[in-house]
Amino acid sequence: MALTASRSLHLGGPPEIEVKEVSFTYRGSTEPALHGISFVQRRGEIVGVVGPSGAGKSTLVKCLNRLVPSFDNGTFAGVVKIAGQTLAEQRVCDVAPLVGMVFQDFESQLFSTNVAHEVAFAMEQCGYSREEMVQRVGAALRAVGLEGFESRDPATLSGGEKQRLAVAAVMALRPRVIVLDEPTTDLDPQGRAEVFALIEQMRLQGATLVLVEHDLEALRVCDRLLVVRDGRIVADLPPSELMARVELLESCRLRPPDLSLLCERLGITPHTQTLEEAERAIRARFRICATACESRLDYDASASSCLPVTRVGQEANKGRQEALIEVRKLTYAYPEGRLALEDIDFAVGSGEFVAIVGRNGSGKSTLAKHLVGILRPTRGQVLLGGRDLSRLTVAEISRHVGFVFQNPDHQIFAATVEEEVAFGPRNFGLKPDEVAERTQRVLAAVGLEKLRFQDPFLLSKGERQRVAVAAALALNPRVLILDEPTTGLDFFEQRRMMELLTELNRGGVAIVIITHTPWLVACYARRVVMMERGRKVFDGPVRQFFASSELLENSAFRLPEVTALSRRLGLVALTVDELVSVLEARS
Amino acid sequence: MPIYLYLDRGTLFHRFHPTVKVFGLFAVFWTVFWLDHPVALAPVGALLLGVAHASRSWANFRRLSWLLLLIVFFTSLVWILFFRVGAPLAKVGPLWVSRASLEFGLGRGLKLAELIATTIIFLSTTKVEEFSYGLRALGVPYRVGFAITLAFRLAPLFIDSALEVVAAQSLRGHEFRRGGPLSRLRRYAPVMIPVFMGALRKANNMAMALEARGFGHSPRPTSFAEYRFTRSDLFALIALSVLASASFLAYYLGWAGIKIR
Amino acid sequence: MIHELRAVWHDTRMIVLCAISGALYAAVLIPFKVVPLIPGVTELRPANAIPIVCSFLFGPAAGWGSAIGNLIGDFFGGVGPGDVFGFAANLVYGYLPYKIWALIGCGQSPVDRSPLGVAKYVMTCFCASILCADIVGWGDSLLGLRPFAVLGNLIVFNNMLASCLLAPFLLAAIYPRVRAGHLLYSDLMVLPSSPCSFARRLAGLVMLVFGGLSAWVLGNLVSAGFWVPGFLPSWASTPPYGAAVGIVVTPFLVIGLVGASWL
Repeated sequence: MALTASRSLHLGGPPEIEVKEVSFTYRGSTEPALHGISFVQRRGEIVGVVGPSGAGKSTLVKCLNRLVPSFDNGTFAGVVKIAGQTLAEQRVCDVAPLVGMVFQDFESQLFSTNVAHEVAFAMEQCGYSREEMVQRVGAALRAVGLEGFESRDPATLSGGEKQRLAVAAVMALRPRVIVLDEPTTDLDPQGRAEVFALIEQMRLQGATLVLVEHDLEALRVCDRLLVVRDGRIVADLPPSELMARVELLESCRLRPPDLSLLCERLGITPHTQTLEEAERAIRARFRICATACESRLDYDASASSCLPVTRVGQEANKGRQEALIEVRKLTYAYPEGRLALEDIDFAVGSGEFVAIVGRNGSGKSTLAKHLVGILRPTRGQVLLGGRDLSRLTVAEISRHVGFVFQNPDHQIFAATVEEEVAFGPRNFGLKPDEVAERTQRVLAAVGLEKLRFQDPFLLSKGERQRVAVAAALALNPRVLILDEPTTGLDFFEQRRMMELLTELNRGGVAIVIITHTPWLVACYARRVVMMERGRKVFDGPVRQFFASSELLENSAFRLPEVTALSRRLGLVALTVDELVSVLEARS
Repeated sequence: MPIYLYLDRGTLFHRFHPTVKVFGLFAVFWTVFWLDHPVALAPVGALLLGVAHASRSWANFRRLSWLLLLIVFFTSLVWILFFRVGAPLAKVGPLWVSRASLEFGLGRGLKLAELIATTIIFLSTTKVEEFSYGLRALGVPYRVGFAITLAFRLAPLFIDSALEVVAAQSLRGHEFRRGGPLSRLRRYAPVMIPVFMGALRKANNMAMALEARGFGHSPRPTSFAEYRFTRSDLFALIALSVLASASFLAYYLGWAGIKIR
Repeated sequence: MIHELRAVWHDTRMIVLCAISGALYAAVLIPFKVVPLIPGVTELRPANAIPIVCSFLFGPAAGWGSAIGNLIGDFFGGVGPGDVFGFAANLVYGYLPYKIWALIGCGQSPVDRSPLGVAKYVMTCFCASILCADIVGWGDSLLGLRPFAVLGNLIVFNNMLASCLLAPFLLAAIYPRVRAGHLLYSDLMVLPSSPCSFARRLAGLVMLVFGGLSAWVLGNLVSAGFWVPGFLPSWASTPPYGAAVGIVVTPFLVIGLVGASWL
């Protein structure tokens, strides 16, 4: 039975969305995607929809503008009302003036070749006069902070700007309800921050929003959160109440916010919602006065053993050994002359686990592409085991260094998972026995043995990402480089991917990941390289990175909640476990 | 990868009304069509060079110079060999050239070069949205114009993903340049399949996003784009009409053809 | 032919598929434009496999898509008046395969590799390639840009190589997946019922083959100057034979196109 908040209808406005007993089964499926879902949302309310991948979140929100069942054929039952108007038999395009929708994939929702036209697009479809359009385009672009971008080609905007443009394009029609379906999943921290700042602004202006999102910490802005699992709403609670239910969140494959986890572990009730509250509660609980805490738990950045270490994979990382890849004074300029990398010195030793972080466009991917010879330096050198990379072919390099692209679909083409993994070894002319043996071993290592005869295109994104990792591993590399391997995955899949990398690292493969996800860096990496405008601005232990206020302020990298809290207490904890151990040891 | 030729230079040629630009494109095609002799084509070529300079389109000419040269050379060669009239100047087996075939071949090469130069200037000065506005002005239905614009927007995205797939497959030891031409052709399958499947994944999302933005709500969508017809547009129209008429007159009077001797 | 091509514009998904096929065609056409066979003279274009594959997947949308993709490809390298014929030729090249297959495929999948299946597939591609070549060769001859005997043959050669050597691999990988995902054109759009009976459609195919082949053979003979019919007026009987190609080829091209419209 669903948990329901006593204050679920706390806002006094009239119902803007009414969903009654909505069920939907996709064509060809026996299992319903939605089972008799009902909820009401009042005007000016912000409702978050959370749940694991495949729970039915997107199906649910698509019912609000009739994309379901108009686009996805199947069996639909139930009633959806927007502003008192029942949506039945309407075309999706006729619902557009009532419900606007922003999708996850920003590339798929921009159709024009300039920003102003993009914003005007929906109004053109609805027959607005040019004068009205000019006025609304200006207002919408101002609202999302894109004033002055009118004549820019949307393709030249950053991810965050594209998503803000998509919001402006929806806002211009002034719909009663705006649905944002995972609007930040494909964005970097800067882009996420931009979109959430916009949502906060819309909240203050009284917009009625439905927000589908994986990151619970970001959903504190909502009035209510609906938890969807197996096509049912299993909880409908305000964020503070939901986040206190750590067990429920974990059972729904959601990552509980650090503060909730910490309160749960320390037995602090009620759970605190802000860093200030958490700090006060901990200081009171452990009787730490400000000065005492700072003097006794002061952090020495150079000593990585100052805190009990319980991180996954920690024991495998005993520090840098011989350099497998070395970059010396690397400079790279694009064909038009703009510098992408400048004077980079960098080395990866065997057994290392390195995270490369930085804003979009800071040079992370460009650096990584030099490590596998996809790009060749304008100046400087890249050495692989002491040999100059420029003398080796990409195929020769790939025997030593594996590279997994951000989008696994950029390499998958074979009919089965097994064929896909065997493609590389076959290209290198290995004998059939050896190809089979390697494929078998690698599939076992990434946990895809049972799916070996499956069509890789039909797997989930997380599984496809594992296929891509397996394909790279099949060439027995000593270094594996992964470009944002967890983008677009839910918490459960992210953790699975990182545990796989940790296992590989334990087995001796050096791992280099490019990531935007702070908690992954804190929990799994041992060394951080930070890039800014083509230059390396930091290269050192993870803890030292998170201890540096100046660095973090300049980057768009948001501290994990637990690290931010621990810093208020005068130390640098990377995980909830670490902080709990220190506090308990102290008490 | 930048694939379009538009150069944001703000010259007079960039500011012309889209309809005038489209008219200009067809007027020059018409002009060139009636001229065969290289000497008759030369003034039009000189005029186009002047326009290329004034519209600051040289960067695109430089970028496509190899293609232009190849096409002109190949076209001239083919026509020199195919235009078998007049007294032979040289003969090698079944192949022979005459003064007329040389003039005709060079004329065809020049003609093709001028046609391509015209489109390079057009594309260097015309944005995609102006092109679709021009199409609508010419009576092309809205949805057809929209599909063309959308394809123009998507093509660079797909090219980028194709280049990334090439890199990904190369890293798995796949060599595109191994083997003979036929085996090379087949080697493109591991690139084209991922690009195709990626595009298909996009298709459904894109159609949903389109309808969610009201696509199809009104049978006659209004237009946000607005271009003013100025005096310079009028002068341009007159000049283009004079040029097109002069070319036809030259053809009619027999000044632009090849004399067979 | 016309009613199905028009139906594309009434369905949002088909419009998107049309844009996507066009963009895909251009995306492979532009960076992988040349696999030279004889440098400067002839080349293989892997992109020529795309309209065939799209046709089996997206039906009529592929016709428009191929035409648009070819236009974008030409935009990259400079268009000319001959591209009007390139547009029409690619429309036919992308449109015909699924229509011919619907008639002779007898419910077989285009990825069926039985000898009969292969024979039908090759014939399908040949019909589409030859009519495409006829249109471009005829148009360019009329405009006096390139001789039919050069362009017409190169197009048939290129299209057949790409459609017989590369397209089957792509189809084998993509078609079953698209069918499983219910994304074939027949799943996405309600096709207007054909106004033609089976017999008329069969006659259409015969006309298409007869008209297309005749136009191709005659275009070659006339344009190369091997055969100049005596009935031609004197102004059309001299090189470069553009008008002669126009007079001789047009009736057969019309037969081929009328046949295509009956499919």
